[in-house]
Amino acid sequence: MDGEELTEQETALYDRQIRVWGADAQRRLSKSHILVCGLKGTVAEFCKNIVLAGVGSVTLVDDRVVTDESLPANFLILPHENHYNGKTLAEVCCDSLKEFNPMVHVAVETGDISTFGIEFFEKFDAVIISCCSLGKKKLINQKCRKLSKRVAFYTVECRGSCGEMFVDLQDYKYSKKKLEETIECQIEYPSFEEAISVPWRALPRRVSKLYFAMRVIEQFEDVEGRNPGETSIADRLGVLKLRRELCETNSLDESQIPDALLERLLTDTREFPPVCAIIGGILGQEVIKAISGKGDPLKNFFFFDAMDGKGLIEDISGPSTRS
Amino acid sequence: MADAAPPSKSRDLDKLLLRPGNLVGPTFDPGVQLRDDLQEYARVLVVGAGGLGCELLKDLALSGFKNLEVIDMDRIEVTNLNRQFLFRLEDVGKPKAEVAAKRVMERVSGVIIVPHFCRIEDKDIEFYNDFNIIALGLDSIEARSYINAVACSFLEYDSDDNPREETMKPMVDGGTEGFKGHARVIVPGVTPCFECTIWLFPPQVKFPLCTLAETPRNAAHCIEYAHLIKWDEVHSGQAFDPDNPDHMKWVYDEAVKRAELFGIPGVTYSLTQGVVKNIIPAIASTNAIISAACTLETLKIASGCSKTLSNYLTAMISTVKTALCRYNGVEGLHTKVTEFVKDKDCLVCGPGVLIELDTTVTLKK
Repeated sequence: MDGEELTEQETALYDRQIRVWGADAQRRLSKSHILVCGLKGTVAEFCKNIVLAGVGSVTLVDDRVVTDESLPANFLILPHENHYNGKTLAEVCCDSLKEFNPMVHVAVETGDISTFGIEFFEKFDAVIISCCSLGKKKLINQKCRKLSKRVAFYTVECRGSCGEMFVDLQDYKYSKKKLEETIECQIEYPSFEEAISVPWRALPRRVSKLYFAMRVIEQFEDVEGRNPGETSIADRLGVLKLRRELCETNSLDESQIPDALLERLLTDTREFPPVCAIIGGILGQEVIKAISGKGDPLKNFFFFDAMDGKGLIEDISGPSTRS
Repeated sequence: MADAAPPSKSRDLDKLLLRPGNLVGPTFDPGVQLRDDLQEYARVLVVGAGGLGCELLKDLALSGFKNLEVIDMDRIEVTNLNRQFLFRLEDVGKPKAEVAAKRVMERVSGVIIVPHFCRIEDKDIEFYNDFNIIALGLDSIEARSYINAVACSFLEYDSDDNPREETMKPMVDGGTEGFKGHARVIVPGVTPCFECTIWLFPPQVKFPLCTLAETPRNAAHCIEYAHLIKWDEVHSGQAFDPDNPDHMKWVYDEAVKRAELFGIPGVTYSLTQGVVKNIIPAIASTNAIISAACTLETLKIASGCSKTLSNYLTAMISTVKTALCRYNGVEGLHTKVTEFVKDKDCLVCGPGVLIELDTTVTLKK
């Protein structure tokens, strides 16, 4: 919004959350611009949360046409064929999100953003991508890092009852109050490529098995030229073979990546609505923290598994970037 | 609305239910029949259509529950819209339960949601007995106590003081404030009930009158002095109305005067409203997370269902851990799952306390 002060309308609408994070943070949120790519259920939940929070704008990218299969976990799509027929995911979600908060500018961008120049990304304060290949993740992350302006980068993937989130805030400085004092904090984040290159044997023993399992599946899809989520139980042997190779290279015992977990990730490629809501909620909160500069941001991976109901934060970074 | 759930939606649940996982015990036999039961037969009541209620209705509907009901006595206000995403600006003034039900049915095919625009006390006890599971999205201890008492009232014990399974009414309770929240499961007779663990709640803020009258130390004391003491002195007979801006302004002005007198900083109009109306700061993301956690618990309970009611709880009892899951979104991120033990002497959910009195004891003692 224009002007420094919050309008009367904003103050009324956002009263309950201004009591949580303050008017300053609300002002910063209302000036922020978010880019979102890959509109499945989890990202739809995330968009709902940040639109309600009152960000300045949300730009949606997803040229896939809406089908029956898009419906189950995505609350933003009304289940009437004449409503969504022929439209893209971005277009349908855009219409819905505008209703949640008319003060947020919601727009659609078409095309493959990994081919866009870095000046495109400079418009944004945070970039969130989902449902995209390993190569594309790395590429977009790099574009964000090349800018002199700090653009926060997030990826999120949910498969069945599991979810993974990655955060890259580059060189992040913020202050917080401890008792009566204000302390200055600084955290250095690795890029996605740097993080996943950390040798597995250098990681603590009790690192979430889901981290390794996701890397195996990710590599498998990359090597086989598959779209994200385009796997099935027929790929079991191929995936187990890849696991063996990766574990050998990394001197990691294969039992650290259980068969059962890999099988779940291969077959449960659809999103599960409550998991979408949990991950979408946590991602929403992380982006709000990064933009408002309030609160300790997550570093740098978050995992959730509905089977045991546990949410885990893992710090996967090389020695120089460990906090 | 579509006659049958689209096959793709059922497939998600198939993956969860058609596989024995570590959620369920050895007696649990997953099968397609269970999923059908879940969708066709499970009846869930959502108490509250606010921040948690809206999210709960959406999550439960998307997760495949077909028969939902929601109860809420409030009407929609502007300050709800930052998180109660089912409501629009033009809905202000309408009953929350009715608008929430309508919006979710528009967005999820096949679900039926019956709204009840009334107080929870206005319903007969038997109304609550109609449901398999009760999900709570409440904002007060009193309301939780009430529902807990109702649910526990259905519980019967056999002659050996064992709870009778078919009389158990599970509840899933969610609560949030700012960045913090909790999700828990209560199965009367098995887990601690709400009263057994009422000590878990932080002490409710009530200031001693002497502090307000003689020795205020902070802004809230000044405000409550103006609200609870000074108002009646000046406006004897006229009740204070928190929704009347002139009344609120009067309290604010008086609080400022008192604060100046004692050299206390921090009295603002916003704080005055917050203290007087007991406003709970709230954001969308915490509600989204806690409601989803509650939905997962509801699914786990319901997936223990089979056609015969007696099997329902046998499968479930062997698997339910008395877990309280706490979420804190600001200090990094903490989710903590804790186990608690039922209080066998609890007056609400226990079999009854046997009192043996010495015949010489009188009430005075």
